[in-house]
Formats: sequence, structure tokens, C-alpha cells
Amino acid sequence: MPPVKPARNWWLWGGAIGFLVAMTWWSAVGIGFSMTELACNITGGGRLLQESWPPDFGFLPRLVDPFMETIYIAIIGTVVGGILAIPIAVLAARNLTLGPLVWFADRNFMNVLRTLPDLFWAMLFATAVGFGPVAGALALSVFTIAVVSKLWSESLEAIDMGLPEAVRSVGGTWLQMVQFGAIPQGLQHYVSYVLYAFELNVRASMVLGLVGAGGIGMILETQRANFEYERVTVIILSVLVAVLVIEQISESIRKKLT
Amino acid sequence: MSDKKGSIRFSDANIVYPNGAVGMKDLNLEIRPGEFVVVVGSSGAGKSTLLRAVNGLNRLTSGTVEVDGVPVPQKDGRELRELRAGVGMIFQDFRLVKRLSVMSNVLIGRLAHVPGWRAMLNLWPAHDRDVAHKALERVGIGEKTWVKASQLSGGQQQRVGIARALAQEPAIILADEPVASLDPVTTHQIMRDLVRINRDLGITTLVNLHFLDLARQYGQRIIGLRFGELVYDGSAETVTDEDFRNIYGRDFTEDDVLDEDAV
Repeated sequence: MPPVKPARNWWLWGGAIGFLVAMTWWSAVGIGFSMTELACNITGGGRLLQESWPPDFGFLPRLVDPFMETIYIAIIGTVVGGILAIPIAVLAARNLTLGPLVWFADRNFMNVLRTLPDLFWAMLFATAVGFGPVAGALALSVFTIAVVSKLWSESLEAIDMGLPEAVRSVGGTWLQMVQFGAIPQGLQHYVSYVLYAFELNVRASMVLGLVGAGGIGMILETQRANFEYERVTVIILSVLVAVLVIEQISESIRKKLT
Repeated sequence: MSDKKGSIRFSDANIVYPNGAVGMKDLNLEIRPGEFVVVVGSSGAGKSTLLRAVNGLNRLTSGTVEVDGVPVPQKDGRELRELRAGVGMIFQDFRLVKRLSVMSNVLIGRLAHVPGWRAMLNLWPAHDRDVAHKALERVGIGEKTWVKASQLSGGQQQRVGIARALAQEPAIILADEPVASLDPVTTHQIMRDLVRINRDLGITTLVNLHFLDLARQYGQRIIGLRFGELVYDGSAETVTDEDFRNIYGRDFTEDDVLDEDAV
């Protein structure tokens, strides 16, 4: 006799869907969302779109420098953060860490880094070192540490511990066990995560300018404040193109790696 | 006592795993320098436990194990690393860095012999490269030095594993099921390599095997374990089927031999 297919638990599914609907409804009421208001104000959005068109392509040349600054910020943030993420990820991997206390401290450190958003770090560093690209680069370094250490520590936990044990069996130290036994197995993932962090950083460094951390975001903010919507359109379009291009390149490299 | 290196002595040694499983029970055993010992027993009998106790990968619950008269340290640290530097280990699953060259893999055997910063920066002294290369030639794959480990066959990968152990210039080699992932032809090649190295270099060799005919063919001395206890210790020439039955606690079948005609 073939095994009987277990009955689907309708109560569970019904309950889960009902819960989601209720949560969404409750949240919509909470933020004062109303369809009628949306319909009445839709013309306002239309006016904004009208003012934003046609894009002022004559503004493009003045975008080059801030644009490059954005890329520089992203590169520095990725490299510095990517390097600092290595020890943090290793110590956060349960199978490699130096002891429960180190692991616990490192995990919590990582959680703090990750919980605070990149905008917060940008504002913090802007206050500390002044407005400008340096603040942006520092903020993105922290952001990169948060992203890479979290992802990589998890893939390090999944490595085969046979090789690290072999390194210990020849009399290797803890550091050698990590360098020769663990990291070679996690290297592809590491490169992939750093490239992914770079993609995020390019996108983030556009936004960081809004709080004065340099780059193209800063131009975006000044033009918006001056109601130069045709220029804003050009900025947004160029950002869109740049992000797409960088993501394509990075993604194709990452595909080749795995 | 001879001053030759590579003696091992277990005295009243016990290992109980955290889950309560007994890995080693009241073991008293002496292995002389240069011996070729095959350890047999059904799975879970404590073969690996025995080998891994020699280089401190498994810790004793009580008793002692000594290498050349010095107790194996039961905690991590410099003393344990120094002991391990002189004890090579070969694994069933080879444990190589697949993406790296054969040379890089064998040099891992030199880690404990060079200053840490040199190993870290991959600046290996000429002497150590030489030792690594000679180790590869000894197992007959000198021409594969710069090939990526992943491109080698299973038998060749295990030879890299042996070369890594040889690069340690060890007094003892522990081979934990070294042929369990290999086909019959390669199995015999690897076993012959181990015997030859033992004879040529006088390295004390402990090999775990689960095939009885291999144990009989290649062992000089056979040690039988059952539930962590030593139940047989004698020469390979005089071991009888009755002895094997006693070690395994059952009649053996064709699963217990490599060559089925041997049943």
C-alpha cells in the first residue's frame, strides 16, 4: 500500500494568511493611508514628473567629478571594509573561533554594526571628520564589514573541517590552521561577497551624499533643494545606468567564480 | 632502550566521548621504533581513536600515551605542536587544498619547521622546498609538483597526502583508513608505498584497515580492537580466521575483504 499523503493543515495556512491581511490593514491605518487621498493628489505627482522632463543633459559634464568621487568612496569602503571583515568573520565562525567568549563578543560586535544603517554611520563620521568623501568612505567601510563578515562567517561555518584538522595534525598553529586549512575553502565566497558589497556600496554612496558624505548624492541634494528637477532627472538616470553597468560586471565575475 | 625514535606506549589509557561512547578502554600497548602495525576492528571499534590519541587529536580521559618516552600533551599549545611536527598523518579523504598546486600542499608538512612569517608570506626556504620535492619523488609523483591537486586521480592525491606527511620528516606515520576511498589496484599501490617507506626510512607506521586480507598481506604486527579494547596483538603471519572472528565478534563476509576470493 502506498503511503497516504498527509492532509494539508488548512487551519495553519488560513491562520497565516489571515494574520498577514490583518497586519497589513492595521499598518495601513497606522500610517494614514487612504485610496481617496492618493487619487486626489495624483495630479501633484504628475506635475512633478512634468517639471522633471525633458532631462537637462547639458548638466552631464558637471556630474563627472562627483561621479568619480562616488566611485572612489565605494572602492575605498570596499577594500578597507573587505580586509577588516576577514578576522571578524573568522572569529565569528563557530568552527574556527578562538573560544566562546571571543565568539560571543565578535558576534555581538557584528550585530551592532549591522543593526545601525549606513546613513547613521555617514552622519556619525561626517560629524567626526567633517562633511565630505572621507566620511562617506569610512561609513562604507563599516557597512562593508557588516555585510561581508556576516555572509562570510556563515559560509566559513559550512567548510569541511578535515583540511583544518590536517593542518593542526602537522603541528600548525591556530593562525596557520585558518590560513592554510580554512581560508582556501572560503576564498571564492569571500571574493563574491566583497564584489556584492561593492555593488551595494556604489548604490549606497549615492544616498550618503544626502547627509553630506560627498559624491553624487551631494549634487543630487543641492539640485533638488533648488527645484532643478530637469537636472535631478539627469542625475537619477545616470546613477541608474552606472549601477546597472557595475552590477552586470560584478555579477558576471561572481558567476565565473562559483 | 634503543635511541631510535618513533616508539609509542599507551598505559592504562581510556577515552570516553562526551556522548558516553567508549573509544578506548584500559589500553596497554607498546610499539617499537620502525614497526609496521596494522590496526583492525569493525567500525566504531576505536581504530581512529587509537591513532588520533597518538598526535593528540583525541584526548585521553585517563591514563597516558607517550611518544619516545614523553607524554603526549593533553592540551593545545607549543608542546603539542612540537610533538605533532614529528608525527605525520594520512587520511581517508586525503585532505588536500584542491585548488592549490601539489607543491603548496606538501609544503604544509613543513609548517612547523619554518618561521611563522615565512610560511605566512609563502616565502619557503630552499631547504624546505627541497624536502617537499624529495618527498614527492619518494612516492613517485615528482613530475606532478606544479599540477593542481584537483587534477590528480584519487591514488595520486593520496600520494600527495603521503608526501605531505613525509615532508614533516616524521618518526611516526599514522594512516587512518588510507585506502578506504580507493579502487583495489590503487589500494595495493598505496599499501606498497607505505610498506616501502617504512622499510626504507624506518618510520614507525600505524595503519587502520578494515579489509582483513590487506591486514594479513601487509601487516607485520596486527592489533585487533573491539569496543575500544585490545583483543588481539600478534604477528600477521600467525593470525588465524578464528582470531579475526574474535576481533569482529562475528563471522566475516565478503564485505570484510578487498579480494572476494580470500573469504
